[in-house]
Amino acid sequence: MSAVFVAHELGRWYGPVVGLNDLSVSVPGGVFGLLGPNGAGKSTMLKLIAGEIRPSRGTIEVLGHQPFANREYFRQLGFCPQQDALYGDMSALDLVSFLTRLHGFSAVESRRRAASALERVKLTDSMHRRTREYSKGMRQRVKIAQAIAHDPKFLVVDEPLTGLDPVARRDMIALFGELGRAGVHVLISSHVLHEVESLTEEILLLHRGRLLAQGKVHEVRALLSRHPRKVEMRARESRRLARALLALPEVSSVAVAPDGLSLSLETRDVESFFTHLPEIALAERAGIESFESTDAGLEAVFDYLIG
Amino acid sequence: MALFARTTFLLFTTHVGRIFVSRRALVCIALALLPALVAAAIAHFSRRIDAVEIVVYLGGIMLLQIVVPLLALIAGSAVVSEEIEDRTITYLFSRPIPRASLLFGRWLATVMFLGTILAAATALLLLAASTSKVASDPLDAALVRALFEAVLMGATVYSALFAVAGILFKSPILVGLGYTFAVEGFLANLPGGNQSLTIQYYLRSWMLERGGRAWKVDGLELDKPEAVAGVLITLGMVLAVALAFGAWRITKREFVLTS
Repeated sequence: MSAVFVAHELGRWYGPVVGLNDLSVSVPGGVFGLLGPNGAGKSTMLKLIAGEIRPSRGTIEVLGHQPFANREYFRQLGFCPQQDALYGDMSALDLVSFLTRLHGFSAVESRRRAASALERVKLTDSMHRRTREYSKGMRQRVKIAQAIAHDPKFLVVDEPLTGLDPVARRDMIALFGELGRAGVHVLISSHVLHEVESLTEEILLLHRGRLLAQGKVHEVRALLSRHPRKVEMRARESRRLARALLALPEVSSVAVAPDGLSLSLETRDVESFFTHLPEIALAERAGIESFESTDAGLEAVFDYLIG
Repeated sequence: MALFARTTFLLFTTHVGRIFVSRRALVCIALALLPALVAAAIAHFSRRIDAVEIVVYLGGIMLLQIVVPLLALIAGSAVVSEEIEDRTITYLFSRPIPRASLLFGRWLATVMFLGTILAAATALLLLAASTSKVASDPLDAALVRALFEAVLMGATVYSALFAVAGILFKSPILVGLGYTFAVEGFLANLPGGNQSLTIQYYLRSWMLERGGRAWKVDGLELDKPEAVAGVLITLGMVLAVALAFGAWRITKREFVLTS
């Protein structure tokens, strides 16, 4: 399969602010996720892919085209932006029909396609209502409908599951999977690892404007479990518990707070730690009141990965 | 070219239906009615000002020098900037359309909107003035026609300038207000050749040349009015250059939106 997206030493900055820096990557196509914490450069990369902005340096080619203001490329692109903006005075059907007509379809064909796309995102019942009356989740689905109504070859979606309820999330995940199986290349941007994991195995990891890794989700998962994690706990017998936990090989340090109830520890293998914890807590009659892993977020993982 | 015409028409038809029912339209309509309301009040209460004077002063000064540029600013500056501010421009500029068709389609819809409400406002002004009880010459056709023509030409040219300002500047309303009052309001009323740098000069020249002697009053008379052909050529060139520049800029410019 030829690459759907190729970047070479790609950089983009906004005045002194670096959005993306020296990114070289080739993505073969299919469904793939663009992952990174807030400020990683995902939106900049999507703007470059969607042809909204030009690179400051380097090159980018998508489906063999340089994207910026490229009409030939836009015929094949479906773009669902992150911003929660729609024409609030138009109904979903009118809005999607109008945008589909801009692809050159007749009024009748555009309306048929719009109705079909809205059905795919489960909005048929409310497609005649003005979009300003919609919930955030419904607006999100309109945005997805306008991106798929013209049958794009390449679908780019920025944080597509934001604002959706669990049922709608499941439906959208199924829809993206269906599109992928139908041969549409789908790029999904997210800062939530498990969201992307439910959609695809293939991911690009961005951090602070740079490409950190490209590969399978399970490889990132492996990095995640090797990443030292802090765990904060409150227990009646925290000193006794701390002594017992320190004996575990995966626990590297334990500190008990002066109040004698709270303790914090660092573990090199969080999965193994949580497997052993209940057994130890029971044996020591520790009386655990609460516990949480305080740095399980993607940001912490990325900070760890880049050292 | 066919794609450009088709897309422009589609954007025009879509926008024209929306603009008439927008909140911006209410502001414009309220502003457009002001000269007619003032004319009605003068016609009702004044024992000295006749119908022709009401039309000349309120039409030539209040309508043409204040209301027309302000309405064109309110509606014209939104042509592209509204899509930028609402962050909906992304949906249009990720489609296979000539970018300039957004400017042309929405500007034409704006001209239709402005033309409709300003024609109605001018007609109401004439109607209100005609109720004056002070004896005067009847409102002649040339005077009335010249006012309508100047108002419509002014709305067309000003709205194009402000639409382009919406592409170039982050705050086109502020820039437009500065232009309307500092350049058009001030320069056009200073005696001398500077006047010819304003749109007002050409609109007033038009009224003087086409509307007859009634327009030759203090505050409207020009040292050396432009001939009718000169007015048409100059305003046509301003319009063409503004739109061509706007089309070029919108094609090249990045619209970086922040969430």
